[in-house]
Amino acid sequence: MSELFRLTLAEAAAGLAAKKFTSVELTASSLARIKATEPRVGACLAVLEERAMGEAAAADKSGPDPARPLRGLPVTVKDVFCLKGAPTTAGSRILENYRPVFEATVVARLREAGAVVVAKTNCDEFAMGSSTEFSAFKTTRNPRDLSRVPGGSSGGAAASVVSLQAAAALGTDTGGSIRQPAALCGCLGLKPTYGRVSRYGIVAYGSSFDQAGPLARSSADLGLILSAVAGPDGLDSTASDHPLDDYANAVPADLKKLTLGLPEELWSADFDGGVARRLDEARKLLTGAGVRLRPVSLPNLRFSVAVYYILAAAEASTNLARYDGVRYGYRAGGDPELLSLYRNSRTQAMGEEVRRRIMLGTFVLSSGYYDAYFRKAAQVRRLIAEDYRRALEGCDFLLAPVSSIPAWPFGAFAADPLTVYQLDMMTLPLNIVGAPGLALPAGLTPGGLPVGLQLMGRHFDELGLLSAAGAMERVLPSPGDPPALG
Amino acid sequence: MPLDEKAVLAVVGLARLEPPERPESDSAAADPVAAMVSEFAKIVDYMAILNEAETEGVEPMYSPMIEPQPPRPDEPRRDAGKADDILGQAPERVGRYFSVPRIF
Repeated sequence: MSELFRLTLAEAAAGLAAKKFTSVELTASSLARIKATEPRVGACLAVLEERAMGEAAAADKSGPDPARPLRGLPVTVKDVFCLKGAPTTAGSRILENYRPVFEATVVARLREAGAVVVAKTNCDEFAMGSSTEFSAFKTTRNPRDLSRVPGGSSGGAAASVVSLQAAAALGTDTGGSIRQPAALCGCLGLKPTYGRVSRYGIVAYGSSFDQAGPLARSSADLGLILSAVAGPDGLDSTASDHPLDDYANAVPADLKKLTLGLPEELWSADFDGGVARRLDEARKLLTGAGVRLRPVSLPNLRFSVAVYYILAAAEASTNLARYDGVRYGYRAGGDPELLSLYRNSRTQAMGEEVRRRIMLGTFVLSSGYYDAYFRKAAQVRRLIAEDYRRALEGCDFLLAPVSSIPAWPFGAFAADPLTVYQLDMMTLPLNIVGAPGLALPAGLTPGGLPVGLQLMGRHFDELGLLSAAGAMERVLPSPGDPPALG
Repeated sequence: MPLDEKAVLAVVGLARLEPPERPESDSAAADPVAAMVSEFAKIVDYMAILNEAETEGVEPMYSPMIEPQPPRPDEPRRDAGKADDILGQAPERVGRYFSVPRIF
């Protein structure tokens, strides 16, 4: 029973049900793996050892329960999810000592389903970033190449799954923050439809974009997690009562009946050579397996970076106005009056990228610029949504790359925020439209770095995505285990 | 026309932030305020790409929800009862109140 941490969620659940091992053994294995790999990977901001072992013991005691399909299974959650009694920093100094008094609905549901939260994972501050380099607390390294970033903002989540610290992780995706780190580290990630999953208790970034979802090493595991967390919530009016599907039992699709649209604007990007080669091979493997691929167009896609950064920054500037040094979080010392207390608390405890986005959001919402930027971006958002709907006509899903480049070395874009924003172009359309998407591995570059593909679907068709991915993951090359980390 | 320093510093104030401190030396190259202004202006300048989009008569899309949810019943909930927990997070408090510096 020495390497239980290698099991997928579904395998571990089956093993527990068959009494091959206990949750205490499984959870101890996960915690030992965290201890062994953390010095190199740095995926976690808090490891909840004592609490997790207590929950595992309770799970063993309670025994099997069909209402608790995740009973005794270790998972990690991104540090933007409020977990009662545990630190919740969102990667920011301003929340360094914050202890939430309530719990995110998705975390509560995971725990009600029996999952054991073993760690809270690192992320870019307030989920704003594409490399996890903007965390105020630590550096997370890509498990497949420790000299490179894991992607972001859910970089800790992806690194925890790929370094086998836990079989599954909960992340959030506002502009690609689940799919991009999944692709750059070499695992799967699902961004559900906006409204499929409650946002209550998630530290807010862009409220019309944010959505929580799972990262894992198989599509079946994504389905298990989604099935536990999806559905309406009296505490979030945007959590939809649209009928749920049986995500935990998605049947692999018949690839010969699948038609995928290839958005020309995404496939004609300027790709890294190794990435381009993998993408070409992936397309050949899929057509060889009977998938029909047809070109489609998203003509307004070139506006997506501007649309996203204007609207998400506007929402961020509003959401982050709550950090004022008065009610919770960091407070600057020695201020004689209120306005300077606000300014100093926020400036001292928020990082440069967060301040930049607050400024951008403040600017586009300010008098005289509102119509030219904020309203205009919301209009173009609708054009992109209409393009998306049209592109899906005659296709089951769209298929696109996740990133034009593989994981990059630390600091490669430190002096150039606009270039990093533009790297998000491939993941932004889904968040702009509110549709669901699933990233899955498509092999490694000659340099050994993962390359990812993403399926994009119709609103609330998570089951379709899981079915298609279930068939595609059998055809596409697996990235395999990362190099020795322990 | 790119945003100038005065306009960017006005945004910093509206955002309830402080600009970076100017070093005492008069070397312009090392001025963090000038660096912030030029970087911010460059980002805003990029956003002008939206002027190329034809949006005459297009309704703005502020939410991606395709099925707006009906409002829930307007019933008060009495299960909050967390005042002490919430006040316990305050960096400074006086009794059952958050404490702030004087306003005037």
